[in-house]
Amino acid sequence: MILSAVAGFSTVKAQMNGQQIMEAVYNNPTGEDVQGELKMILKNKQGDERVRELKQYIRQEGQDEKKIMFFLSPADVKGTSFMSWSYADGRDDDQWIYLPALKRTKRISSDSKADYFMGSDFTYDDLGDRHPSEDNHTLLREETIDGHACYVVESVPKEADYMYSKTITWVIKDNFLGLKRDFNDERGNLLKTLHIKKFEKINGFWTILNTEMHNVQKNHTTEMIFSDVKINQGVPSGKFTERSMTLGQ
Amino acid sequence: MKESLMKKTAWAIIISILLLSTWFVFEMAKNARMETDLDEYMPKEHPAFVYNDQAEAWFNIKDGILIAIENPEGIYNHQTLQKIKDITEAMQDMPEFEAADIISLYTADNIVGTEEGLDVKSFYKRVPQTEEKIAELKQNVRSNEMVQGRLVSDNNQVALVVASINDSVFSMEFYEKILAFAHSYEGPENIYVAGVPIVEGTMAYLGPKDMKTMVPIVILVIIVILYAVLRSVRYTLATLFVVLFSTIWAFGLMSLLGIPIYAVTIMIPVMLIAIGVADGIHLYNHLDLFMQENEGATKVEAIKDMLKNMWKPVVMTSVTTAVGFISLLTSEVLPIKYFGLFTAFGVLSAMIFSLVLVPAVILVFGIKRKKIIHKNDNNHAGFAYRFAEKTLKHKVLVISVTTVLIFVSLYGTSKVWINSSFLENFERDSDIVLTDAFINKHFGGTSTINVILESENNGVMIQSDIQKLMDEMQTSVEKVETVGNSFSIADYVKRMNKVMNADEEAFNVIPENNDLIAQYLLLYEMSGDPENLWKVIDYDYRKANITFQLKSDNSKELNNAIDAIEKYRKSFEEKGVSINYAGSGYKALVFTGLILTGQIKSLILSVIIIILLLSLMFKKLSIGLIGSIPVILTALISFGLMGLLNIPLSTTTALISSIAIGIGIDYAVHFIDRYRINAHETKDKLATTRETMYHSGRAIAFNALVVISGFLVMLFSVFPPNRSLGALVSLNMFISFIATVTIMYLVLYKSNIFFKKKN
Repeated sequence: MILSAVAGFSTVKAQMNGQQIMEAVYNNPTGEDVQGELKMILKNKQGDERVRELKQYIRQEGQDEKKIMFFLSPADVKGTSFMSWSYADGRDDDQWIYLPALKRTKRISSDSKADYFMGSDFTYDDLGDRHPSEDNHTLLREETIDGHACYVVESVPKEADYMYSKTITWVIKDNFLGLKRDFNDERGNLLKTLHIKKFEKINGFWTILNTEMHNVQKNHTTEMIFSDVKINQGVPSGKFTERSMTLGQ
Repeated sequence: MKESLMKKTAWAIIISILLLSTWFVFEMAKNARMETDLDEYMPKEHPAFVYNDQAEAWFNIKDGILIAIENPEGIYNHQTLQKIKDITEAMQDMPEFEAADIISLYTADNIVGTEEGLDVKSFYKRVPQTEEKIAELKQNVRSNEMVQGRLVSDNNQVALVVASINDSVFSMEFYEKILAFAHSYEGPENIYVAGVPIVEGTMAYLGPKDMKTMVPIVILVIIVILYAVLRSVRYTLATLFVVLFSTIWAFGLMSLLGIPIYAVTIMIPVMLIAIGVADGIHLYNHLDLFMQENEGATKVEAIKDMLKNMWKPVVMTSVTTAVGFISLLTSEVLPIKYFGLFTAFGVLSAMIFSLVLVPAVILVFGIKRKKIIHKNDNNHAGFAYRFAEKTLKHKVLVISVTTVLIFVSLYGTSKVWINSSFLENFERDSDIVLTDAFINKHFGGTSTINVILESENNGVMIQSDIQKLMDEMQTSVEKVETVGNSFSIADYVKRMNKVMNADEEAFNVIPENNDLIAQYLLLYEMSGDPENLWKVIDYDYRKANITFQLKSDNSKELNNAIDAIEKYRKSFEEKGVSINYAGSGYKALVFTGLILTGQIKSLILSVIIIILLLSLMFKKLSIGLIGSIPVILTALISFGLMGLLNIPLSTTTALISSIAIGIGIDYAVHFIDRYRINAHETKDKLATTRETMYHSGRAIAFNALVVISGFLVMLFSVFPPNRSLGALVSLNMFISFIATVTIMYLVLYKSNIFFKKKN
């Protein structure tokens, strides 16, 4: 999970291979729960912008992850809430949406993790943690970008018809935080570039505060800005119920 | 100058013209480029096109290639479903298409209500194998109004793959590739390919192809008739070379300047053939008559007399014709400006060739001397004299027939209508028309009009009252006979409202609550790929695109639909929403209108210029007015006849009216100038009319005969627009000829112009 992608302390290590680097990224300790405000700015090729503000809560329950989001703006969707339960065992996510105008909670289902999240440039899979064992990783080189020394790792999925033919990740050597990632489509062409624009240490965890996904083929971008982030403040399990969806944040 | 020196000069002239022409031919071969992108024809700065370009970018509006897959047994079987998937995927992989622009049952979103909520999924990913699965798919399609009747026909026998493509991507090679691709899937299913790009492609392919076969035949017939008239191989060839070289020079200069060949450019040789033979015929006609009267004259004497007498009318006719064509520069349409400019250049080249090449050929190859002609020409003379006298005698008849024709034509002209239809350029039983009819029978329609709604404020387009108005407008416009169906954001909202309420038909309406609509759309975005949404509404919900599908691209039908849409303009404006139009069908409508108004403007302008020029040349305003009679009558009668015969104006037919100027003025000038000379020489009115009719009248008749026979050949063309071209050129020639030797002659006679001082 990008928001909670936090890194442990790094010590001087022997030269790592691609597999080990991606495992280190995956195994970064995460907070048990995270809450904060999320501002999503979607921009299309004509330069039109859509801004959505949400309050979100995330809680790890064992290997599973529960998430609930409440729309703060725009005004006509205020109070709309979205909840998802993701399972580590490969089951499809459970997702619900509460529409205040309809006063009803509905389940929604998406065909696959390749679906885009809320019309953004992030697929559900981009937002989740992909297990390193699903790809073959190769350390391509080391280089410094944005002032950070990085490993550059190429990951090729083992699954033949995965939505990306490969990804290339720039991993910060110091904290095993993914700083940048290129996604190539099924045909091998560059599809999207993910850029972490701001990260900070919060409550002892490295936390991403601003990230931007740019779909270079559609020239569409999604910027996610996190603010007021609190980690391990004890979000109760009872927050993630259909009933609490109707109550607002 | 000695004859031998003159001969050398003549050779030099012939060789240099040949060399220059050869160079132009090489330039053409090197640089010539066909422009097939119709957008390049349109004036980009015109507000309607500026708006259209914006709207096309906002909503990704493109023309669709439609591939219909017909299985008389029904499409719901493994094999046909597989074929739909294969075609879709293969097209997604083609570099000319964007993957998201291929829409079929395979890619369509199925918005369904489940017991618990809403689901947006595909109808199938893997092709279903079992009968139960296939029956389930069929049920899913039949219960989804957003797909049934749009991508699958109501009788379940035809499925559609719609592939949108940018005009700029479309090329002749691609046209052939896509047809071959589609037909490779034939059997047992039938495959049909239609859509605006295909129709335009077929036209761009058929028009020039037909021209390539017709033009040589036209030229051949002209050669034969020219020979019959001139009775000399070298004269015939010289006249022909004048036309040929002027065409080569016009095209060569275009290539040299890097100007591409547009569809209307094909009209340049047509104009030059019709106009260019005139100079040669008049020159040789004069030469013939001179030789008859001065049997012992040398060829140098003959040439001198010919040039002395004829250079003036040849220059006058060419300059006025050229100016007439240059007036097309007032058109807003670039290819028409070029057409006017380069036809004018060709006409002036033809003038120079006539004045230089014709005498040079005589010098080098000698003069035709045949006695037989003498007798024949006495008959001609007798006929010409009688005709001149009879016309005077029956002046009341001539005047009343002309008056009746004017009034009938005025009435006809009022009935003239413009048709921007591409499809109606084809035979009714041609493949492309039948395919189009087939798809129109099973689906909403192959032509589209996009209605763009726009508001000042964000979020307006998803307000309940606006959506209801959209829905009401769609229902009402769909009642227009040729409108098959329509599609807008309101269709999404209705579908969502229905599936979120247990699929109850009572909820297949726009909800009252504005927030609910916003939340439905949010829900849709969260459930699937919202890409399709941006084809009907913009990011800020400030603009919306309603697509109407029509079963015809006929301008009358398009206008009927627009009239029905316009009824809602006021209601929308009251809510601060403006209505505009976009899409290729609408563009064609505006474009044809532009061509027509441009054509009429330039026609009026050139008549004024011609009157002024003639008045200047003959130093009398009355001559200018008389000389414009054939031009005006030709234009009027040809428009009137089109109105009466219900032949719509199109880009081609409108342009032919230019020929009325070119030819009408030629006839008038030759006739008037000869009349002036004869009047001056004989000072006798009857002798003047007789001689003029014999001299000019004969040449004009020859000229008309040659060109009319040539262009009548085009009546056998397989491409209907080329048939109307042939008919209209012939008609214009005929009217110009008759008008010159009857009514204009009569007015000239009655005006006493060249005799006044004597009386």
